[in-house]
Amino acid sequence: MHWYILKRLAIVPLMLFLFSVIAFALIQAPPGDFLTSYIAELAQGGSSLDQAQIDALRRQYGLDRPIYEQYFLWVGSLLKGDLGISLEWRRSNAELIGERLLLTLALTTGSLIFTWLVAIPIGIVSATRQYSAVDYLFTVLNYVGLATPNFMLALVLMWVAFDRFGVSVTGLFSPEYAQAPWSWARFADLMSHIWLPMIVLGVAGTAQIARVVRANLLDELGKPYAEMARAKGLPEWKLVLKYPTRVAIAPVVSTLGWYFPQLLSGGLVVSVVMSLPTVGPLLLRALVGQDMYLAGTIILIFCVLTVIGTLVSDILLAVLDPRIRMDAA
Amino acid sequence: MIEVSTAASTGPGRRLRRPAAWLGGALAALLALGTALAQPYQEAPMLAELVAAGELPPVEERLPEEPLVIEPFEGIGTYGGVIRRGFTGPGDHNNYTRWAYDSLLRFSVDGSEIVPHIIRAWEPSEDFHTWTLHLRPGMKWSDGHPFTADALLFYYEAVLQNEELTPSVPVWIANHDGTLAAMRAIDDYTVEVEFDFPYTLFPMELTFRDGGDRTLAAHLPGHYLAQFHPDYGDPEEIARMVSEAGLNDWTQLFMQKGIITDNPERPSTAAWVPYRSSVSDQVFTLRRNPYYFAVDPAGNQLPYVDEIQFRFFADVEALNFAAVAGELDMQDRHIQLTNYPVLVENAERSGYRVITWPTFGGNDAALWVNQQYTIDPELGELLANRDFRIALSIGIDREEIREAAFLGLGEIRQPVAAPWHPYYPGDEYAFQHTEFDPERANEILDGLGLQRGPNGMRTLPSGAPLRLEISVVPAFGPWPDVAQLIASDFADLGLTTDVQVRERTAHFTMRDANELIMEIWNEDTSGFPFTGNPKIDPRSDPATIFAVESRTWYATDGERGREPTPEIARIVEIIEEAKTVGTDRQIELAQELNRLVADQLYGIGTVGLTPMIQGVVVVNANLANVPDLVANDWPLRTPGDARPETFFYR
Repeated sequence: MHWYILKRLAIVPLMLFLFSVIAFALIQAPPGDFLTSYIAELAQGGSSLDQAQIDALRRQYGLDRPIYEQYFLWVGSLLKGDLGISLEWRRSNAELIGERLLLTLALTTGSLIFTWLVAIPIGIVSATRQYSAVDYLFTVLNYVGLATPNFMLALVLMWVAFDRFGVSVTGLFSPEYAQAPWSWARFADLMSHIWLPMIVLGVAGTAQIARVVRANLLDELGKPYAEMARAKGLPEWKLVLKYPTRVAIAPVVSTLGWYFPQLLSGGLVVSVVMSLPTVGPLLLRALVGQDMYLAGTIILIFCVLTVIGTLVSDILLAVLDPRIRMDAA
Repeated sequence: MIEVSTAASTGPGRRLRRPAAWLGGALAALLALGTALAQPYQEAPMLAELVAAGELPPVEERLPEEPLVIEPFEGIGTYGGVIRRGFTGPGDHNNYTRWAYDSLLRFSVDGSEIVPHIIRAWEPSEDFHTWTLHLRPGMKWSDGHPFTADALLFYYEAVLQNEELTPSVPVWIANHDGTLAAMRAIDDYTVEVEFDFPYTLFPMELTFRDGGDRTLAAHLPGHYLAQFHPDYGDPEEIARMVSEAGLNDWTQLFMQKGIITDNPERPSTAAWVPYRSSVSDQVFTLRRNPYYFAVDPAGNQLPYVDEIQFRFFADVEALNFAAVAGELDMQDRHIQLTNYPVLVENAERSGYRVITWPTFGGNDAALWVNQQYTIDPELGELLANRDFRIALSIGIDREEIREAAFLGLGEIRQPVAAPWHPYYPGDEYAFQHTEFDPERANEILDGLGLQRGPNGMRTLPSGAPLRLEISVVPAFGPWPDVAQLIASDFADLGLTTDVQVRERTAHFTMRDANELIMEIWNEDTSGFPFTGNPKIDPRSDPATIFAVESRTWYATDGERGREPTPEIARIVEIIEEAKTVGTDRQIELAQELNRLVADQLYGIGTVGLTPMIQGVVVVNANLANVPDLVANDWPLRTPGDARPETFFYR
């Protein structure tokens, strides 16, 4: 098992190198560069730079150098542990991404826990009471949840909150705490805001996972070992929770690997709509504005997270199901 | 204040002879009662506390000898409060620029004339070669350092004369031969700028040098910035700061330190100065400048409001939503025209009012036609035919566009100056070719040899298919809708027209490569045709698509690109002449230019004078002194030209 983990870790640098080349090439693919898009943005506001100013800026940003040189500059500083400076924000990428990543992970983890806490019991109840009124109710709710785009849900909830209570539920902090250093008051303020986006992000996943758990559990419940346990007089709830459920949620755990990046990027539209200070909108902006160092760095971080997520889910699977042994694979 | 005290000193003898002076004397006597108890100038309570604590000099010492007096729109205000605004991140630095309007000279509220600001008076030499600028003795930077001629001279020497910061001389301060004009200090408060040609637009250019577009302003705090400049500071220390900040060279450091939206420590002369935050923060906070050099007519130091908070929104719709919920106190920028009905509907409930400031003339969605399209020469020839453009113009149902895309706001017109502007060419030109007359349009198209094929669509005279394209950027509200409406009108004339909605960078790149046939863009520069980057000047970059090849021709002195037609060449002649003549001749030239615009239809106007660009204004119901009507344009720094320092809470 240790060897397996080490082997998996060993290929990470190679993957990251490939990702970095692909990411950089993709960001460079659209026409123009950061300055073109910056000039376009200024023009949109009615103003414009003259050619002398544009030339000076292009030189300052190093955009007059060939692309491979720009790439090596970026990767070189990455290797030194320096994430570089965002062209648009003129701040270090580490600083920009830092707190946003923390908030993103808090939001993602929170919504994942919400999803599991709601979805697994629903799945179990639905499976054990198959074709009952409760099962039908959950089935309908699940399909509605699955079919509603989460940004739509966010918009509806925002409008309801405004219409009923006269408040706008955007952002993760009240304005007075947005800039404040971390404190209990700030944490409490975060908690009072984060639950809504957490639910919004979790709803579609909840529906999906509840269906998966229900289906898997139904398969397991009729299997001989379950009949056997029943025949031996094990109480039904104890039986269900101890054996078939463990097997039924295994596929759910194995999806953890792709669930993380999906939440990071899938939450993008919700984050934009609700004006959340997470990584998604920052990445979108960096891509639109061709802020290549910031965009490249965020994409690399996403790649690292995906690799780690997959690894964690593999290990969890092994722990959960003793039949899976990595060494044999 | 100054005038009143002068009147008082003239004594009672004169007031019998001159009623006006008598009135002044009486007023002064009344005020003298007050001044016996209080100081001639008043200040905000938060500053009075600092003065009492000995942390700040008294208000008389902070104000210049002759403070600027700003007349409020409604009346004298009271101190205090916070104005909450929204912004969209570091690219939105002009949100600050427009609010601060921290320039040497300013435009008046109606945009018709240039008025004193930091510069209290200015005058040209007889031949317009030399301009003398008078500063305010006793004026201070926001850190208390005296503001003298050094502020302008530092910019001149450290920035303009430095080749690394300024690789080529900016046009606005260049001599006719392209070299840098001469600037010298006559004394601490008088600066002279000398050109080698008569340059009448210089004061207007000065109004634009306020650090907008993230450039360095024309007045800089040399006492602070010198430490970041190798000509003045310690090179080793500068090298250390550059590497510590992870920058490439000192110019980046100098820019970062010199641009106020990046660096809250940089001293400023604006009414509010950044407070421990920058434009890349979640909340960008400004606090009152204790040394702001302006007062109201009653001698209260401005601004009235203590603090401005710009709150970051990643998405413009989220910002609009916050405005609907009454969470913003004064917002014009980023408010979308399409949200106007929703905003009005919720105004009472959320405690705000909605006012509209129409654009400053021109056109809010003009159809620009490429005059030098080379990819298909036959089509290019057709686009360059004025009769063809007239057919296009009268083939557009503008009333439908006004109703459907602009909510019935604004006026149908060509892209010429506003009717209240001296440059207005008259109704006969403003409304020329704006009537909807598809019958005559079809006659013109038939006359041009554009035969209809079996499917009813026209072909080029050679029989080759005729396909037009309108490229549109969803930059401001309704442009894609306008493009669709125009395309369907053209289809009715038998002209196959595609609408391509493009991301702005792609559009700009294609425009520069001269690959676009037609585009929707606005003409917001008709009030300023001789400065900056006028849309109608073929040399402007970025401008519009109508003569991209001639831009190259002018830039390379005729080596590459295409020679302009006599009409396009005339535009350049007009602009060049206007820079060197007095106001009367400038007006004549501007009117000629506007007539040419309406005649040639390089940009076919649809609707103008709508509040499309930052003209839908959401104002807290209790916020007073916000004018109902303001000249609204980027060169005027709206809403800065509404004088936000006089806004106050009732």
